Amino acid sequence: MERGASGPGVPVLSCTDLRKQFGDRTAVDGVGFSIAPAETYGLLGPNGAGKTTTISMICGLLARDGGSVTVDGQPVDIGTAAAKQAIGYVPQDLAIYPELTALENLRFFGHLYGMRGPQLKRRMDEVLEIIGLTDRATDRTDAYSGGMKRRLNIGIGLLHQPKLLVLDEPTVGVDPQSRNAILASVEALGEQGMAILYTTHYMEEAERLCDRVGIIDEGKIRAEGTRRELTSMIGQRDRIELGARGDLHRAVAAVRGLDGVVDVSAHETGLSLLVVDAGRVLASVIEAVAGSDASVTNVEVVEPDLEAVFLHLTGRALRD
Amino acid sequence: MRAAGVILAKDLRARLRDRTFFIVAIIAPFGLAAIFATLLPSGSDDLDLRLGYADLDGSSTSAAFRDGPLQALVDAELATITAYDDAQAARAAVEAGDVSAVAIVPSGFGQDVELGQATAIEVVGDVDAGFSTDILRSLAEGYARELESVRLAVATVIGDTFPVPRERVAELVAGALEQPSPVSVVDVPAELRQMGAHTFYAASMAIFFLFFTAQFGVLSLLAERRGGTLPRLVAAPIPPAAIVAGKALGSFVMGISAMVVLAVASTLLLGADWGDPLGVAALIVAAVVAATGITAFITTFARTEEQAGGWNSIVAVTLAILGGAFMDLSQAPEILSRLSFLTPHAWFLQGLDEMSAPSFTYADLALPLAALLGIGIVTGAIGLWRARGLVVAR
Repeated sequence: MERGASGPGVPVLSCTDLRKQFGDRTAVDGVGFSIAPAETYGLLGPNGAGKTTTISMICGLLARDGGSVTVDGQPVDIGTAAAKQAIGYVPQDLAIYPELTALENLRFFGHLYGMRGPQLKRRMDEVLEIIGLTDRATDRTDAYSGGMKRRLNIGIGLLHQPKLLVLDEPTVGVDPQSRNAILASVEALGEQGMAILYTTHYMEEAERLCDRVGIIDEGKIRAEGTRRELTSMIGQRDRIELGARGDLHRAVAAVRGLDGVVDVSAHETGLSLLVVDAGRVLASVIEAVAGSDASVTNVEVVEPDLEAVFLHLTGRALRD
Repeated sequence: MRAAGVILAKDLRARLRDRTFFIVAIIAPFGLAAIFATLLPSGSDDLDLRLGYADLDGSSTSAAFRDGPLQALVDAELATITAYDDAQAARAAVEAGDVSAVAIVPSGFGQDVELGQATAIEVVGDVDAGFSTDILRSLAEGYARELESVRLAVATVIGDTFPVPRERVAELVAGALEQPSPVSVVDVPAELRQMGAHTFYAASMAIFFLFFTAQFGVLSLLAERRGGTLPRLVAAPIPPAAIVAGKALGSFVMGISAMVVLAVASTLLLGADWGDPLGVAALIVAAVVAATGITAFITTFARTEEQAGGWNSIVAVTLAILGGAFMDLSQAPEILSRLSFLTPHAWFLQGLDEMSAPSFTYADLALPLAALLGIGIVTGAIGLWRARGLVVAR
């Protein structure tokens, strides 16, 4: 593939002050970040935070209301072909043709990216090997399992050896086995030196895969850095995951005023708390919850992690 | 253009694996055309009229019938006329199947006409050859009307000046018959130009189903959006216009393929006669442009494939009815005949009709072609402009 202007120290992706408005709703509000060569960058945020809208503007799928994007030194817009050549886009939804075989799907997208002849054939063989579909390459994809389709979905994004691979929540709705396979593939691609933009609302995925993470909520990047940098923002604080049943809103109110409790939010199965010194405050937390109209079913004290950072920054759990 | 070709090739491959294309584009129109052509009265495809004529009068008035309307059929190579000396021989020829129908002009026919007395041309037809008998009867009735106008003209000249010498009446009648009719109703030539049943139903079913075939291309934009592949196409290093062009090309190629297959198959298997190949090719291309334009226009107003498919079906049926694809509109009220020319169907069938005329020249196709291309270009331009909005999210 033809290469652009990026090199050591020059970011593969640079986006600044991205803005997008849908009617009265601001979907993206001044988002900016960059990705260096061989870096895996995660956009971590709950559903509706603005991840997919940001990615759509980066890939030239959606017109921006403001801001700029360059990929491999080339400006990106809806009609620009040069920058798009450097991007491998893996959408959140499956984007394959069910009536075609895996080989035909790969060949079609390869042709769209200007690939031909032996180069295309060699690359198709490599990708099929990477995604583990060599034996099923000539089967129509409507006969594939969900996991196989997901793998092919990623394989198409890899085919033209892009400078920047953009994966939009690739593990949503995937069984655990396939999810592990996808994460391992992304890890391997990162180790091979590909720049990757990975969006997720799973904290564990961001922690496992990403060199740097941007925490996004309500269309804004709330914080950005390595895992160590982000967790250091909350100091010596612990996260307590409290399984509970009953009136969780009353439980939140009962816990919020306790000494040592920094943040608390309710979710489907209980409460997430950010506390100073979990060992010291745990007993009073359990007592307060039990004193409200809720009962505690289990307790887990977690080392500072990105979930705790998100809770600290937004006052809400990632799963909200 | 290369990218549009890649998208076209992918769509064609996918569509050929989808049996609905063959059913909608080939099997259904061909099957219906065959059924219609078999069940309904046939037209002039098999027009091989074997008519007879017995002139028992021998007057100039009876000779005018033979040399006028009957000779016109012979000149157009649509009929053979056999002359018989007497009525008995003529009737025997019909019974023997030598001719399908005979016209017998009785002795004294000319004189009765001159004197304004009642007389009749007798038409005898084979019961199994109703079409031939109908044509001969129509010709005789037309001639009788002409004679009536002549009688009135002669009566007007004579006025109240009785008695009039018989030689004078004969002179006036002969003179009136030689005069061209002041008002000419070109009835017979219109019938002779009409397509045969096999051709009509093959062509009308072809253009009716063309509207279902041509929708496939642009409709697949909505399918790409539903299937999630549209964002991936937009993310590729190709202009958004190439995606729209690829889809429009898909409609065009599938439409052309279906029409050509139907034209060839109906010619070989149903005996249809579409006309001059170059003219037919031009009409097919123009009709496909029109169908592609209209279906693209409609599809871009829909939100889902199902909605677009429903709307396209309603429009296809409405235009087909209005355009005379299901029935001959020549006997319909004037307003319907005029409205029919808002549809591509009417122009397409009109073009084929023009080619069935013995005096056809390519210039006769100018109006149908211009109308079809005009409809296609206007609706297509709006449709493709709107289709770009489906591709690029704002």
